[in-house]
Amino acid sequence: MTTYIIRRLLWVIVLLFFVSFITFMIFYLFPSADPAALRAGRQPNPELVEQIRHQLGLDKPWYVQYVDYMKGVFLHFDLGYSYQNNISVKTQIFQRLPATISLALGAAVVWLVIGIAVGTISAVRRRSLFDRVSMTGALVGISAPVYWLGLLALYLFANDIGRFKIFPGSGSYVPISQDPAKWFTSLIVPWFVLAAAFAAFYARLLRSNLIDVMSEDYIRTARAKGLSERRVVLRHGIRSAITPIVTAAGLDIGILLGGAILTESVFNIPGIGRLAFDSIQNSDLPMIQGTVLFGAFFIVMANLIVDILYAFIDPRVRY
Amino acid sequence: MSSRTRSSLRSLAALASVASLSIGVAACGGGNDNETGGTAAGKPVSGKKGGTLTLVSSGDVDNKLDPGYSYYQFDFILDNDLHRMLYRYKPTDTTKPSPDLAAGPAQISPDGKTVTVKIKHGIKFSPPVNREVTAADVKYAIERDFLPQVGNGYAGAYWNDIQGVKAFTSGGAKEISGITTPDKYTLQIKLTRPTAAVVVGAMALPGTAPVPKEYAQKYDKGKISTYGQHLVTTGPYMVQNNSKGEITGYQPGKRIVLVRNPNWDPKTDFRPAYVDKIIVDEGNDPTVGNRKVLNGQSMIANQPDMPPPPAILKSVTTGSQKSQFIPGPFTGRFRYIALNTTIKPFDNINVRKAISAAMDRNALRLAFGGPAVGGIPTHFLPPGMAGFEEAGGMAGPGYDFLRNPNGDTQLATEYMKKAGYPSGKYTGKQKFLMVTDSAANQRKVAETALATFQKLGFKINFRAVTRDTMYSKFCGVPKSKTAICPSVGWLKDFADPQTMLDPTFNGKNIIQTNNSNWPQLNVPAINAAMEKAKTINDLAARAKAWAEIDRMVTAQAPGVLWLWDKGPSLMSKNVNGVLNQANAAWDLSYISLK
Repeated sequence: MTTYIIRRLLWVIVLLFFVSFITFMIFYLFPSADPAALRAGRQPNPELVEQIRHQLGLDKPWYVQYVDYMKGVFLHFDLGYSYQNNISVKTQIFQRLPATISLALGAAVVWLVIGIAVGTISAVRRRSLFDRVSMTGALVGISAPVYWLGLLALYLFANDIGRFKIFPGSGSYVPISQDPAKWFTSLIVPWFVLAAAFAAFYARLLRSNLIDVMSEDYIRTARAKGLSERRVVLRHGIRSAITPIVTAAGLDIGILLGGAILTESVFNIPGIGRLAFDSIQNSDLPMIQGTVLFGAFFIVMANLIVDILYAFIDPRVRY
Repeated sequence: MSSRTRSSLRSLAALASVASLSIGVAACGGGNDNETGGTAAGKPVSGKKGGTLTLVSSGDVDNKLDPGYSYYQFDFILDNDLHRMLYRYKPTDTTKPSPDLAAGPAQISPDGKTVTVKIKHGIKFSPPVNREVTAADVKYAIERDFLPQVGNGYAGAYWNDIQGVKAFTSGGAKEISGITTPDKYTLQIKLTRPTAAVVVGAMALPGTAPVPKEYAQKYDKGKISTYGQHLVTTGPYMVQNNSKGEITGYQPGKRIVLVRNPNWDPKTDFRPAYVDKIIVDEGNDPTVGNRKVLNGQSMIANQPDMPPPPAILKSVTTGSQKSQFIPGPFTGRFRYIALNTTIKPFDNINVRKAISAAMDRNALRLAFGGPAVGGIPTHFLPPGMAGFEEAGGMAGPGYDFLRNPNGDTQLATEYMKKAGYPSGKYTGKQKFLMVTDSAANQRKVAETALATFQKLGFKINFRAVTRDTMYSKFCGVPKSKTAICPSVGWLKDFADPQTMLDPTFNGKNIIQTNNSNWPQLNVPAINAAMEKAKTINDLAARAKAWAEIDRMVTAQAPGVLWLWDKGPSLMSKNVNGVLNQANAAWDLSYISLK
């Protein structure tokens, strides 16, 4: 297992190199805008644009720019400085990371709890009223865009603009270190909004897997041995049916840690997603590189954790 | 200033407009609404001191409020309260600013080549600098505007004629020789050409806010200046900082906290500065943010990056929250669909006139939000600009192709025939690149215009990209051969007509990067008239000269003029909102709480 983990971690480094190179090349070859021209404002002399290009090192050959950047990342963990405001990329990412982690992990808890519970009950009580209602609800949940759902939730429940003033509204996020109670209440609505589509998808996925598993021979054997139905479902059925859920959850959480742009925007949560979005809008290469690298890091690490978890969930998997 | 604002969530703002539960713009009618909006509302009133005002915004300011870099409306709103530029527009000033740091009007020598400004005594920098401001601080402020680390976007356009600028920018001199300080309170500027009027006009921009050299110089080195992170101010407010001068009241994209500047002496200033604290709440979704303002207390919505979405605009103009809506005066921005005059058949003036005549400009305005967002222009110089009345005022010069805001198909056909298309339609096989801003309202305008182009027989390759991409890869880059730019516009820097017409229509200003003459209009008579007008320093004669240039440019139909912007503004019930008539944006130092 240790060798496997070390090997995977080495691959993480290679992969991050690859991702950074691809990001750099995309930006270099197909830039959305000229950073020097953007920084120079709307009426600069052409000489000023060229001076700024020189200051930012954008007049160097692409490979020199890339090597300079990677040297900074690997030797000093220096992700550079924003072209827009000259603030350290690392500082900005670390300032915003707690908000994104809070949002993503909290939402994951919500969608896993709801998804697994609803999926299991629907599979066990197949074709019951609960099954039909919950699966219809799941379809709605999958179809509803997060952005629309977020606005709807605010118009209904936010204490500033809502019809029923129950939960804190947009922009109410405070870090957990500052006020844990406020942190929790400010995230309740965003968690449920972000989790809605995932919960619906996971419920449907688990239901269909569990229905398949419950018709397997070993389940029949377990029942024949006289195990209670509860034990058969929880110990034997779900354990086998949940493997694809773990895979999906790992990837989804990894992706969300890279930023949940729409949810962060509607609820004004200052996270990585919004930072990435702003950076792309401003052609701010150092910030784009930083957020992409962080996103990629979370995704590959989530994959690694999922693979390790497999060994515990599924006895057939050995490393 | 371009029509671009630094809204970091521009596209999401657009999405917000779409995703809003209802959008009922089409119900807004046309009609003549070119009168300046906002009568009593939005004007200064005597208010009570104290309280905290929240400016709710979508995007962020630029480069941490460095006054040398500031070049967008959002920056200017805060700059007006943080800094004391040489001159400042009071809320009721329209074409002539009042002396702020300056002790009186600028003195221009008879030959128009020397400008002398006396500055007030007893004005101090905020902590940690704390000392009195001198003329040398203004000299350094202007000098640093030319540094690439600062990246000022207008110094080159307005102050390039100062003696010694070239030597300074090329690294041949450490200071600009043409700016001198004969004594502690006198600033003298010598010019290579008699262009004093525009040099003085630009003194109302934040680039003249004093900067203490001994404190700021170390931050002005490196790739990008970090002075904004150690900002000191001279106005009634400062950004919250610590004893070392490090800004603690600014979290990028989240919040800015302005507190009272303890070194500000109200006796030296005309600003009442009613509120004790100003919080800028950033990163809001435009729909949610505007609703927060309407339902909340002590809030105002930041117009430049969070204008009310159409659905909200409709409800506040008619509903019970009408008192929280200020229609807003004209902002000094024109919007038009630029036609690239270097690409056939747009090089033919009759084709351009035909397109202008055919366009239903009222429909374009409806697509953008209806009459509340502005009036339909009759020429380029917008209301509130020196030279506007001389150029024909609201009625305009009376060109037939701009006469009918709903479009005139018959006239368009006549012009197409004159252009050599007997059927009244374009019959060529060429496909034309049309690049629009992808924000929802801009895209809607472009799509409405697209239908007219197609009706006239043009085949269009339609592309929607982000605003920055549109400017820096397509419309602002002549070699991109973009034929039609439907989302461009220009906002005045200050109330001098040169700032509207020179960057946008002078053939000498066509450049390969960041070009703002989008139609690439290059008419020798217009170029020559502009060069002559730049050297006129008598304000009345200057206004007349630029009004004539405005007529010449409008006659060329370099694009389809479709909007003179207004700045509709929203505020909470307990706010006495005050707009600055010069830029139709909030004047925070004059706003009070009820």
